[in-house]
Amino acid sequence: MEMLQYALRKFITGIPLIVGVTLISFLLMVYFGPDKTYELLGKNATEEQIQEIRHQLGYDKPFVSRYLEYMKELVTFDFGYSDSTGERVSSILKRTVPISLALITPGFVLGNLLGIALALVAAYHRGRWLDKFIMGGSVVGMSVSFLIVIIAFQILLSSNDGLGWFPVRGWNVYNFWDYLHYVTVPTLATVFVSLGYNTRFYRAVIVEEMGRDHVRTAKAFGTPPGELLFKHILKNAMIPIITRIMFSIPLVVISGSLLLESYFGIPGVGLVTYDAITSGDQPILKAVVGITAVLFVVVLILNDIFYKLVDPRVSLK
Amino acid sequence: MNTLTESTTLPRESESLWGKALYKFRRDRTGMISLGVVLFFFVIALGVWMGLWGQHWSAIEGPMWAKPGAEHWLGTNIIGQDIFQRAIYSTKTAFEVGMVVAILSTILGGILGALSGYFANSWVDELILWLMGVLDSIPFYLFVAAIAFALQGYPYSMHIAMIATFWTTTSRLVRGEVIKLKNFEFVEAARAIGLPRNKIIFRHIMPNTYHILLVQATIVFVSAIKSEVILSFLGLGVVDGVSWGLMIAESTQEVQAGHYSNFLTASTFLFVLVMAFNMFSDSLQDALDPKKVSA
Repeated sequence: MEMLQYALRKFITGIPLIVGVTLISFLLMVYFGPDKTYELLGKNATEEQIQEIRHQLGYDKPFVSRYLEYMKELVTFDFGYSDSTGERVSSILKRTVPISLALITPGFVLGNLLGIALALVAAYHRGRWLDKFIMGGSVVGMSVSFLIVIIAFQILLSSNDGLGWFPVRGWNVYNFWDYLHYVTVPTLATVFVSLGYNTRFYRAVIVEEMGRDHVRTAKAFGTPPGELLFKHILKNAMIPIITRIMFSIPLVVISGSLLLESYFGIPGVGLVTYDAITSGDQPILKAVVGITAVLFVVVLILNDIFYKLVDPRVSLK
Repeated sequence: MNTLTESTTLPRESESLWGKALYKFRRDRTGMISLGVVLFFFVIALGVWMGLWGQHWSAIEGPMWAKPGAEHWLGTNIIGQDIFQRAIYSTKTAFEVGMVVAILSTILGGILGALSGYFANSWVDELILWLMGVLDSIPFYLFVAAIAFALQGYPYSMHIAMIATFWTTTSRLVRGEVIKLKNFEFVEAARAIGLPRNKIIFRHIMPNTYHILLVQATIVFVSAIKSEVILSFLGLGVVDGVSWGLMIAESTQEVQAGHYSNFLTASTFLFVLVMAFNMFSDSLQDALDPKKVSA
């Protein structure tokens, strides 16, 4: 019961954020966005025709009612039809989101797991050459641009000049074997890029946790290293780790796949968004921006609730 | 007292945070080497800016895909432009983007962070926190796209988008530090002698956060350069001139035909500068961290 109250309170504090996020995306995408009047009109339009089109597009309505209309679109998930293909935006999203998730999930999971594993190794050998080697490697990894990694992996693994093991572009997935065939190179690129940042972050968290008094005490009592690691160190380091993972979810789904999908020609949300950006397809853009921003706020709230589940010391007040 | 301080092995130059940091930084070999590399790139950028070199970046001077040689040091690209000249000119573009974004977002983050820290739990703080939360919630690439969308044809939409998103981290760090600092005696003393509030915030509290601002500025600089490359590649970034991102974008066709010079040149320049800047930033952070005692 107390938990439910806490969750409700958190959702109420999230409302100003949702209002702000939708307001900014409305201002940028709709209110100050490009005027579509003259694209829909023929040459030499009369004043009445201009007024007519502006009325159809709703440009003559006051600010607040146009904003509320945008909010209604977000809540009912009905963004109208794409400007360039005429397909319903909601059905485009329904088709493309699963592809993006299938593309990005393996790289995201592996990148985080490997990051934690390497961070543990580095933290365990703190100050010795293995630690320096891993941390030096992660600075190198952080310094290579995602773009360069994608292109280099494609040349090395997919092109005829390289090994030529995997398809260069596209996404013809019908069974699990196809899936592995197409997902490998993007996954390797994602892991390579995220590993440096992840390892550095997790090492800092774990090193701080290792220096705590209770860890030293547990060690003095002769706790076996495995138990020490999982029960005394990792369990306490869970809060920053979870926060990092949760917060990257909304960003990874869109931003991460934007580059991957546009480069590999994979028909996910990222590619749809990229095409919408280059062709100025307003309904798709406002749907994607609005949904991701709202998703982010929801994650923010869920994260606070999650804290409570992981760490009983977090106050409910 | 005098004999005591003289006999210790503490740095002699100065006892201030900055004096100690300088002392520590000078002895950090990685830091000094990376600073040297960064300065070298800066000199290249400065030379381009003053018109000393790299001015023929757009001239079509050779055949398509000429081999590297005395005429064209690193060969030519798909339409016969000199790759070396373009890479040199792009250094200027990278520094321009990096410095504009780093300086402006640090100033913005510093001022708003100081205000929200000093007035913690008041409506000013709430408003600034709300703004930061909102800006952090919009995915970066989409935000840039949205701004480019709203400011159609305006060449600085990328810079604006980066400044608008990168100041929030700086601001959060400064806010935390100011909340800690405002309870110190020197602030209380300043308040007691009746100094105006803006003087207390900006003349007495804020100088104590400059080390955070400096480190943050270097981090933002690196992110700005890296983002510029990806945004330019996607067609949302640099519109006039040339940048490493644009070079990589044009190289994707060449790579398919088996010509790697353009891609390798742009990637190497970018990688070396970002790597050096990352290491410089790390050393700076170590040197300025008052918690690390080792001299």
